[in-house]
Amino acid sequence: MTSRICKNCGCSEIDLDQARGNAVCTNCGSVLEDNIIVSEVQFVEGSGGISSAVGQFVSADGPVKAPVLGTGFHTSLGKESRAQTLQNGKRQIHNLGSQLQLNQHCLDTAFNFFKMVVSKHLTRGRKMAHVIAACLYLVCRTEGTPHMLLDLSDLLQVNVYILGKTFLLLARELCINSPAIALLVAARMHEFRRTVKDVIGVVKVCEATLRKRLTEFEDTPTSQLTIDEFMRVDLEQECDPPSFTAGQRKVKMQALEQELAKKLDEVQGEISLYRDEIETELENSRPKLRGIYAAYAKEIDPLDEVLSQASCSSPREVDPEEDEELEAVAQHLNQDFLCQVIQGEQQGDERGGEGVTEEAPPPHPPPRGGPSLASILGPLPSAASLGLSESIHECIAEDKDSDGKSGSGELDLDGIDDNEIERYILNDKEVRVKTALWMKQNEEYLREQKEKEERITKEKEQGTYKEKPKKTSKKREPIRASTAGEAIEKMLEQKKISSKINYDVLRDLNSKGGSGNSSPAQPTSTEEPPSGPPGRKRLTRRKKQPNKTNMGLATTIMGKRLRPLISSATKKKRAASQVTPNLTPAATPVLPNLSSPPSPNPAPPGPTMVESGPVAYDEVAEDEEEEEVEEPCVSALQLLGGNEYGCEAEEEEVF
Amino acid sequence: MEPSNDVALDIIITNVVAVFRTRCHLNLRTIALEGVNVIYKPEYGKVLMKLRKPRITASIWSSGKIICTGATSEDEAKQGARRLARTLQKLGFKVRFSEFKVVNVLAVCSMPFAIRLIDFTKNNRPIASYEPELHPAATYRIKTLKATVQVFSTGIICSIQITGITKFL
Repeated sequence: MTSRICKNCGCSEIDLDQARGNAVCTNCGSVLEDNIIVSEVQFVEGSGGISSAVGQFVSADGPVKAPVLGTGFHTSLGKESRAQTLQNGKRQIHNLGSQLQLNQHCLDTAFNFFKMVVSKHLTRGRKMAHVIAACLYLVCRTEGTPHMLLDLSDLLQVNVYILGKTFLLLARELCINSPAIALLVAARMHEFRRTVKDVIGVVKVCEATLRKRLTEFEDTPTSQLTIDEFMRVDLEQECDPPSFTAGQRKVKMQALEQELAKKLDEVQGEISLYRDEIETELENSRPKLRGIYAAYAKEIDPLDEVLSQASCSSPREVDPEEDEELEAVAQHLNQDFLCQVIQGEQQGDERGGEGVTEEAPPPHPPPRGGPSLASILGPLPSAASLGLSESIHECIAEDKDSDGKSGSGELDLDGIDDNEIERYILNDKEVRVKTALWMKQNEEYLREQKEKEERITKEKEQGTYKEKPKKTSKKREPIRASTAGEAIEKMLEQKKISSKINYDVLRDLNSKGGSGNSSPAQPTSTEEPPSGPPGRKRLTRRKKQPNKTNMGLATTIMGKRLRPLISSATKKKRAASQVTPNLTPAATPVLPNLSSPPSPNPAPPGPTMVESGPVAYDEVAEDEEEEEVEEPCVSALQLLGGNEYGCEAEEEEVF
Repeated sequence: MEPSNDVALDIIITNVVAVFRTRCHLNLRTIALEGVNVIYKPEYGKVLMKLRKPRITASIWSSGKIICTGATSEDEAKQGARRLARTLQKLGFKVRFSEFKVVNVLAVCSMPFAIRLIDFTKNNRPIASYEPELHPAATYRIKTLKATVQVFSTGIICSIQITGITKFL
């Protein structure tokens, strides 16, 4: 109410008419204010007598999405994606939050957190669901609602620790102190305890018993039913009482154990056999043994080899006591290994065990038993023959000791017992045995590797080999266009700009001069074009020619006409005047395909095409197809400096 | 929490992790096949070798980088690492013991009293964090020492100190 007193007569009675937007002095009648901006709801009568309010719905994040006209347009291209992200996030927050019965204020706060997270790029590399859940949980914490992370993870079916990690990280990044929820957890836990306690009190059963029953119940099929199903369905299959199944299991376990023990005994027998042999050999002197070893070493039969190895494993270190101790340790270790191997064999197939059993009496191990026996016995003699390896080393007199130590990485050998270290290394035979074992163990992996290599070599031959899954970066070729309009259309095609642009109208502008500019060669699918009638399509298929036309004409006519209407950006475009075919606004938005070779117009322009331009020009245009068209006026690129390609203009066309 | 002079607090080091380089390429398959105490994991590209004397588990990569875990003192870690290098030498690699560094030390200490974690966390707000849903202990991070201390309500305090190794592998 700025107008209190009339300027002319000094009267203070001023009538404000909201409808007209006037402020008039009642005394002298002078209009003091005109075109007052009013905020009133206006109603309009629609068809059928329905009155509706005039206006548009503006979304809560309207200002974010509204594209800025003019020079700001290029920034809104990036914001589109951000706006979409935020919109998506908001939707998900509402979805999840409503399941938790969070009120609107909490959801809004959560959305604010989310906006902060997005602006700090903390969503990179994280699943959106996790981030959303973390934001919601942040709100729960700060508001103090009785929601736990466990509830959220339950809803999302995500591991609670993963959610926790995300949550902690976000809280730290956003510097949000979430007061400890420990009290709640404690309360929950205690509540739970109490209920359990109550039950116990009533039923007079121990807590442990309850828990046990629960786990047993889990195993039954009934536990898989939902509550409703439980009410409705009565499962036919009866379950054995848990004690029965447990008993069965026990019996099975016992049987297994017995078998194992039996096998162990057999192996034990063999071990002791070898041990005796070894001990007898101990009496012999070293050189003599070596000879024996050499003799035995020539044996081919694996069994005999192993036997011989075992028998001549004698050469030990000087102290017999150490040997015994060592042997004891070795025995112990090897027995473990043996058991492992046996079990492994058992799981693989039973023949391994059989191989072992059959081993004892006849010296003809079944083919499967051979390797298994060798593998089983392999480590045994290995431990026993450690001394052997050492002696061999001495014989060969390797000079490795001197080498490795020198240089920058001197190994200070204080306190390192070389002998002990020697024991860590297997000799050749053992190596072979172990190789065989390992190969068998890792067959699958090796097979995969081989296949992969084969695949790679094959591809190499075919020339389709890709070293690594390369991320093919979209390399945009520099747009080659003879006119600015073409260039613009090419760019549009490449960039796949928003769907809000009405390209037809855009092209109309270009083509108002009469001869359309051609260029659009193929309709693109990216812009969700309203599919126009085929005639138009045909039209659009034409390559630039037909209306490359009259640049001159276009410039003069369109330039003159359009200059006042359109901003400078569009002017540049017009100036270059790649006139598109003169389509009516509803025509298909077609983008140019400048790369397509010039070809004669496939079909005559449809009825919609207004070929007002002189036909003669077409030929001319055709000829000039490839050339850089010289235009009297400056090209768009030059005018603009090459960045903004008339997108602004298109924006204007929208509404 | 005054320093208790009456009761002697035993701080026990339970784990020391050290790394070193051999400055030469190692053939993991050879090591795997010729060593008694090795486990070869081709999917992870490493070999685990376990020593008995200083009870140590070492992860050996083919680039020659080795991580040594399980020692109970720094000296032990160094000794074990040296043994390991010696073993590799014997297997035929031109091993040089270089850049030995203790990376992580884990120690445990027991308080004779229980600790109220919620109050503890409240008093040490930004430094301590307690998430009972995730972990039963409160984590107290000392930035200057680069140490993380886990405080349990029973009075057990477990400290992990990382001496800053960023990109080892």
